[in-house]
Amino acid sequence: MLRSSVALTILVSLFPLTALLFLGIEATGTDWGALLTDETWRDSFVTTLYVVSVSTMLSLVFGTWLARTVVKQRWRFTSTILKIPMFVPHIAAAYLFWLLFSGANGFGGIEANERDYVTVILTYIWKEIPFVFLMMLGTYEQLNRGYVETAKTLQLSPYAQFKHAEFPFLIKPLLDSTWILVAFISFAYEVPALLGVTYPKLLGVLAYERLSTGLYLEATAPYAVALIWTCLVGFGVFVSYLMTASLRRRIERGVRR
Amino acid sequence: MKKWRVLFATFMLTFVAACGNEQAVEFSDSFEAAAESANGSTVNLYMWGGDEGINSYIDDYVAPRLEKSYDVELNRVAMDTAEFIRQLSLDKKADRQVGTIDVVWINGDNFRNAKEAGLLRNGLTERVPNATLLNETAQQSDAGTPTEDLELAWGNVQFILHYDAAKVDNPPKSFEELRRWTEDNPGRFTYPEVTDFTGNAFVRHLLYERYGDELNQNVTIEDSFWDDLKTWSPNLWKEGQTYPKTLEQLDQLYASGDVWMTMGFNERRAEGEVVNGIFPKETRALLLDHSIASTHFLAVPFNAPNPDGALVLIQELLSPEAQLVKQGPEYWGDGTSLDLTKLDANDQNAFEELGDGVTYPNSEQLLERSIPDYGPNVIDTVREEWPRVAK
Repeated sequence: MLRSSVALTILVSLFPLTALLFLGIEATGTDWGALLTDETWRDSFVTTLYVVSVSTMLSLVFGTWLARTVVKQRWRFTSTILKIPMFVPHIAAAYLFWLLFSGANGFGGIEANERDYVTVILTYIWKEIPFVFLMMLGTYEQLNRGYVETAKTLQLSPYAQFKHAEFPFLIKPLLDSTWILVAFISFAYEVPALLGVTYPKLLGVLAYERLSTGLYLEATAPYAVALIWTCLVGFGVFVSYLMTASLRRRIERGVRR
Repeated sequence: MKKWRVLFATFMLTFVAACGNEQAVEFSDSFEAAAESANGSTVNLYMWGGDEGINSYIDDYVAPRLEKSYDVELNRVAMDTAEFIRQLSLDKKADRQVGTIDVVWINGDNFRNAKEAGLLRNGLTERVPNATLLNETAQQSDAGTPTEDLELAWGNVQFILHYDAAKVDNPPKSFEELRRWTEDNPGRFTYPEVTDFTGNAFVRHLLYERYGDELNQNVTIEDSFWDDLKTWSPNLWKEGQTYPKTLEQLDQLYASGDVWMTMGFNERRAEGEVVNGIFPKETRALLLDHSIASTHFLAVPFNAPNPDGALVLIQELLSPEAQLVKQGPEYWGDGTSLDLTKLDANDQNAFEELGDGVTYPNSEQLLERSIPDYGPNVIDTVREEWPRVAK
């Protein structure tokens, strides 16, 4: 029993390494200098960074706030409603938003297929809030109210109450959600393909285009870009978990060491 | 312990399965032998699947006939052409001699790429009896690349635009007039991105307007051409901030009335859409200065698992009956690749009796303005340089 779980762990952790190795092999022969100065890739990189960070940040803030409110106010019904978008696939969500915002003047002045990627961000927020909400709901339900009571007794401001009595417990689920969202959104295809624009394209769309059109059939650049992005995300994961390691351990053990 | 073993075994099996290197399956010696050996088998046809009419021609007309005449089951797999070419080239790299694809629908730069990478089988002409009926000019070259018996012509079409006559009173007659028309009707015209087959062809028509045949000898497009093309942008759909990704998206915009013109290879393609109520009722053909003629082909990959089934399918698709139904308005409206003079009188009459649809262009003018396509190098150059227009 134990050995099989060890084997499974090894297998699972080998997958990302295999993927990295694969990307590395496919990316060999890339002219890195040319890649880094290529305007199309650079614009795509910047736009992707913008879409990823805005969507992730807003999803985290709203998801957490909703989980907090739902637990505090005991809104059972809201909790159920909020889970609905989870069951809509991303491609369907993108199509839904496309139907809503495309056409002559869009809806509420927001148009699909424009360069600020507002509808792409909106789709991601709509889809990811329930995810964050579910990740945080468990945490809030198990939160020791004693800390909040203590903070209140000490007459801390609402912000200080949150900072000292709630936030430390949220770090782990927040970090987990952040990196899942970043990794997912950054190279996803269907949403930006449907709601995005011709230029600049998000990385996933541009990479697919470069891999699937005649001119670029032998191209190594998409693999190189995927490799760079994977390393960046991997580095971010590593650093963020390392920096919060002692804090998280303290929370888990419940004692200061 | 047991679980661990099962896990390990499964893991190793996946590896073994992936590494298996079988012998390629060869064609039978004659068509009769091929038909016999294909009996009871399944043949996988990989093709672009973006058009309902084309799909239903294959599924509702060809598949039942193939089943009936040869007892061969047809499995249509919808996939972008470049994507299965890529899959085949990965197979080639991995030396996978028995793949999954039996027949591909292919032309243009995809054929050039497949030919250069050695992904296709030759010797089709001698093995498919109906190949003798083919139009020899169409069969010879694929957008400038000699076919060299690696593919057989399946259809023959020309590029035209369609417009909604209910909204457009004075349709333009040339590409220059079209540009001026967009100035008078901002937001009502656009073309697909040049990674799309049709979008790329539209830009090639503009290139032909400026350079004519010259470009074939020396593929250098001046900056001024792109600057001129950029002057179209402010008057295009969404002010040229974005372009439809595919022809289907453009057709959708046209169907919903957002834009008033659409375009595409195949002069008969709008007829079915109008009959089915998808395109506006008043859709009419718009033939400008010149129109690229394009032939599309069928080919058999090097690692086809059922090459005999492939021969049977191609024989069926090139039969006069199947070609007649293909050209008719019911499913597709795709021009035949057969040389009508080689057919018997009955078949010739049947083709002539198909007649004209309301969305067809004048066939004499169409023939007059027909031009051969540029080679794949121009397609590549357009792909490479156009993005500056979209910026």
